Amino acid sequence: MLHYVKLIGQFFKISAQAEMAYRANFFIRLLYSVLNVVTGLFSLVVIFNQVESIKGWDLPSALVLLGIYLLLGALRSLFMGPSLESVAGMDGEIWTGTFDFTLLRPVNKQFMISFRYWRIFALIDLIFALGVLVYAIVLLGTPLSILTLIRFLATLTAGILLLYAALLAFSSLVFWNSGFLFTWVINDLFQLARYPVGIYPNWLRLILTWIIPVGLMTTIPAQALAGTLSPGLLILTIFFSVGAFIGASLLFRRGLQKYSSASS
Amino acid sequence: MNHRGGWALIKNTWQSWLQHRGFFFLLAFGWMLPLLVYMLVWSAAAGEGSLEGFSQETLAGYYLILILSNQLTYPITNWTVGDNIRIGQISRWLIQPMSPLYHALSAEIAGKVVFMVFSIPVTGLLALLIHPTVDINITNVILFLPALLFAWVLRFFWGYWLALLAFWATRADSLLALQDTFIFLLGGHLAPIHLLPDWLQPIARLLPFRYMSAFPVEILTGQVTGQETLLGFIALTIWLTLAILLYRFVWQRGIRHYEAVGG
Repeated sequence: MLHYVKLIGQFFKISAQAEMAYRANFFIRLLYSVLNVVTGLFSLVVIFNQVESIKGWDLPSALVLLGIYLLLGALRSLFMGPSLESVAGMDGEIWTGTFDFTLLRPVNKQFMISFRYWRIFALIDLIFALGVLVYAIVLLGTPLSILTLIRFLATLTAGILLLYAALLAFSSLVFWNSGFLFTWVINDLFQLARYPVGIYPNWLRLILTWIIPVGLMTTIPAQALAGTLSPGLLILTIFFSVGAFIGASLLFRRGLQKYSSASS
Repeated sequence: MNHRGGWALIKNTWQSWLQHRGFFFLLAFGWMLPLLVYMLVWSAAAGEGSLEGFSQETLAGYYLILILSNQLTYPITNWTVGDNIRIGQISRWLIQPMSPLYHALSAEIAGKVVFMVFSIPVTGLLALLIHPTVDINITNVILFLPALLFAWVLRFFWGYWLALLAFWATRADSLLALQDTFIFLLGGHLAPIHLLPDWLQPIARLLPFRYMSAFPVEILTGQVTGQETLLGFIALTIWLTLAILLYRFVWQRGIRHYEAVGG
């Protein structure tokens, strides 16, 4: 276990060194991060300038959800995205055949492809996301009890696990069809998590809850923080996220068995 | 100027892009999603009633048409201008006996064809699912077409002169991200202009971003009066002239500044 923690440290260090070589990039990344946050905040301002609330979501609770969305997005671009993308993305290892070398490393394969690359500039996104979240909690105005905080952290962890499972599952599909950019599809669909799943029409809500659980990732933690989440749904979400994690890992393993290398 | 060579290039590019359609379909899907999200958000906000005259059905009509017109006006080639300058590809284009603009134009037209092959059926399917209403009359259609064409030319040249700044600065493409953000916020994507806060609406009508994207859709869906349409076309023409002048200025300066290494 400690071995793996140390490995993550090493992966982080190597990625950081590689990125620090392009220091001017920092300002470009900063611009993109600012644009991302400003767009999110501005959208809510425009929407709630027109209406008081949408299906029970008012400005503070929608802001909480935006904070969670930005937080998940930051974690995705910090390590899940770049790592999985390097395998399943455009010019990824499965396209080019260099995945052979990855398979030869004496570590757990899933661990390796999930934590290998880190994009340290995504830490800016992480800071902004936490800022929005804290501001939203202040705006919400209700004092946080320890119990609410525990519920929030538990569902947030479940949300992160669901996001990881979805990314891994879509990346694994590349073993069956290596020409298609499945990672792009899930990145696109993730945008639907920007707003509460309850505002979508029924058919879409069902898909975003049970099939591609993008809706649960942000909506459930936001509800937990606002104190409107029923205990039943809380337990269901946690079980569901663990199930999704196991399912995605199995899918990855099945895909791995199918992998037949590219000729070189 | 050799127009026949240009036309051959256009045909060639579009046929080759159709072979990679999976990739372009994915791009089109990605551009469609944010607009669909805001269509659903505003529909939920309007509920059974209406917001500033927008009902669920008219919102759906507005956004579905916007999805198509956005893809028709989106200049994807702007993003590769910087790369072509950096890696020196542009040297080869400069010695060909036609304007390098044809390379951009061929990719533009090829892109539009491939994107429409995907987006028209998808929006059609969505229309069956969500029942949009659009009041279309013949005057609006006649005014829509030039507005759409000008919107594309404006958006193309505005992005092109920004991208050409790559002659001096390597990461000029970040300005394109800035432009996309402004189009999203003030060009009718986040909300139809009429739903923006009151203080913001005049600003949105003054800046070029509305004319790159929402303006033709507003005409087609009958959101603008005759006088507003006329004013819109005047603003569009002014911005368009400015964009072309800026392009010519930056291009001529940039070409003199450009030095290729190797070959």
